[in-house]
Amino acid sequence: MGLLITPTMIGQVVISGLLAGSLYALVALGLGLIFGVMRVLNVAHGPLMMLGAYTTFWLFHWWGFNPYVSLLISMPLLFVIGVVLQRFLVRRVVDAPELSSLLLTFGVSIALVNLAQLAFTSDLRSVEFLTGSFIVGPFALSKPRLAACAFAVAITLGAFVFLRSTRLGKAIRAVSQSREVAQVCGIDVQRIHLLAFGIGTALAAAGGTLVAVMVAIQPEMGQVYTFKSFLVIVLGGAGNYPGALLGGLLLGLVEQLASLFLTAQVNEAVAYVLLVLVLLIRPTGLLKGRV
Amino acid sequence: MTTTSLKRAASIALAGVVLASLPLPAPAQAPVRIGASLSVTGTYAKPGTQQKEGYDVCVDELNAKGGLLGRKIEFVVYDDQSTPATAVKLYEKLITEDKVDAVMGPYSSAVSEAVANVTEKYKKVMVAPLAATTSIFKKGRKYIFMVISPAEVYLEGLVDMAAKRGLKTVAIINEDTLFPKASAAGTAEAAKKRGLQVVLQESYPKGNTDYSALLVKIKALNPDVIAAGTYFDDAVAITRQMKELNVNPKMFGLTVGGDLPEFHDLLKQNAEYVYGSTQWDDTLPYPGAKEFLAAFTKKFKHEPSYHAAAGYAGCLIYAEAVKRAGSLDADKVRDQLLKLETKTAFGEYKVDADGFQVAHKMVMLQWQDGKRVVVWPDDLASGKARYPTPEWNKR
Repeated sequence: MGLLITPTMIGQVVISGLLAGSLYALVALGLGLIFGVMRVLNVAHGPLMMLGAYTTFWLFHWWGFNPYVSLLISMPLLFVIGVVLQRFLVRRVVDAPELSSLLLTFGVSIALVNLAQLAFTSDLRSVEFLTGSFIVGPFALSKPRLAACAFAVAITLGAFVFLRSTRLGKAIRAVSQSREVAQVCGIDVQRIHLLAFGIGTALAAAGGTLVAVMVAIQPEMGQVYTFKSFLVIVLGGAGNYPGALLGGLLLGLVEQLASLFLTAQVNEAVAYVLLVLVLLIRPTGLLKGRV
Repeated sequence: MTTTSLKRAASIALAGVVLASLPLPAPAQAPVRIGASLSVTGTYAKPGTQQKEGYDVCVDELNAKGGLLGRKIEFVVYDDQSTPATAVKLYEKLITEDKVDAVMGPYSSAVSEAVANVTEKYKKVMVAPLAATTSIFKKGRKYIFMVISPAEVYLEGLVDMAAKRGLKTVAIINEDTLFPKASAAGTAEAAKKRGLQVVLQESYPKGNTDYSALLVKIKALNPDVIAAGTYFDDAVAITRQMKELNVNPKMFGLTVGGDLPEFHDLLKQNAEYVYGSTQWDDTLPYPGAKEFLAAFTKKFKHEPSYHAAAGYAGCLIYAEAVKRAGSLDADKVRDQLLKLETKTAFGEYKVDADGFQVAHKMVMLQWQDGKRVVVWPDDLASGKARYPTPEWNKR
């Protein structure tokens, strides 16, 4: 087929990739935080994100709530749900073999999706708030995706600052580096676990809220983000928080460029090939070590 | 009814058959029991429920007219939760434990494909009103019959309209799953036959949320027509991103999704001018359509979708074949179903030697001022297509 790929097309696709990638980074950061602190792989991360998306949808639907303002509700709400999950379920498997936490969160994930189907039905819902795009020279910048990117970057940076500079943030990092030493230093590890799961879930909720403005949502929307988040944290370096940002952006770019130069069908395959390469060459991820 | 009384009733019925070749009406006869599993919960809950409601309206109508072979009809319906594996177990149970007299098809190609193995094994005729995948009927099965049009012809109308307008190029995209793949392949073939050049044909994975790169490529190729083999979420996402990236084909048509009221609810004015494809619409002038619509809305207080109409028609078609055969015997009914040519509230029915539907017609709709208008084929159209599609910022 006589398709000539021009620099403008590449530029447009790079823009789309970075916009998508920033959102992957935000969601993956939540998963990475939980994994870093507790060594628990939370398969229910995507479905929790879906709950965030529905929170935004219902607030918009019933009261015409500005979806971006609803971040102030979806994040705290899912923070609480995360804390409750940690307190009553996940806590029991923190020190168990990794398979236990996988099974448990897998169960939670199935339960959440099915409950959502019962409560919200499988109908597609959407928040028609922002559509169309800004035209900058030859490029189109999708309004909802640009807004999602801006919020995702802001929240991700906020999370970094929190982890770097606040006492609590430092305590979380201390626990993720060595639980025993942290405990000896007087850090309440159980409390940090609650907090980490809550924050991780709140980050997923933020992702859900932002996605709800971009695409139509339904109860099964989350799973794909669970997988993408796994990919991102392994790419970036498990337990390395800035690595999530790098991994997310990289995944977004790779998916879009693969769609452009090859076909859309193979973009996932290409992402996993990249993962295998990274694991072969740098098994610790692109940015190794923990911060 | 308890099991013992059921058994008694069944043995009485059996005795009746053995004793009498007498054509006397026997009011004490047990009802004809027809079994089916339907997706009343789970992913397919919505269309599955509609199909069940279609069956219900058909049973009411037949019973009001005296039933089947002088016996009342009773439906035995279980919920397969939208999973093929559950449906397989339920059809086994219907046939071996409940010993139903006949079966009707479940919802969706996937579930129909799975249960067809069971119904074939026990030589039960199954009219499968909501199975649209060609391959199900091309595996040498003898007792399964198709009612709706196959996936391949969903966008035949779009191609026909484009060819008549002298359009030259088409880009075809589809989700990488059974049904959309088949419809994309059928569309590509139809386009080539009509002299259109397929400038791009590409599939994307299920659950894809970002179509930018694909649409950037399409934009560069600037095709006259974009045809998409979609379900629903992808249909909405692609339409939105086409606006974002300002991709402006003269015609844009979708398989599934574009026909649903929710498509317009979600996209509002951005749904305007988009072509959707459907098996049936309640405005089509088919015989009995008005009566069906009235009976359905009276009973269920909401409008029927094409799933309901297909279920209703499938059940009537089966009943008609039984009447003509004068028996519930699978081979006799099968012969009649192969011979039958009829027109129901759902449109035409005629199958080839494989039970594959060859007469039923798809129609193309276009969103005009928030309403679905049938624009193809000409003899069924209720309005004219608005053409060409203006650029996004002028809608």
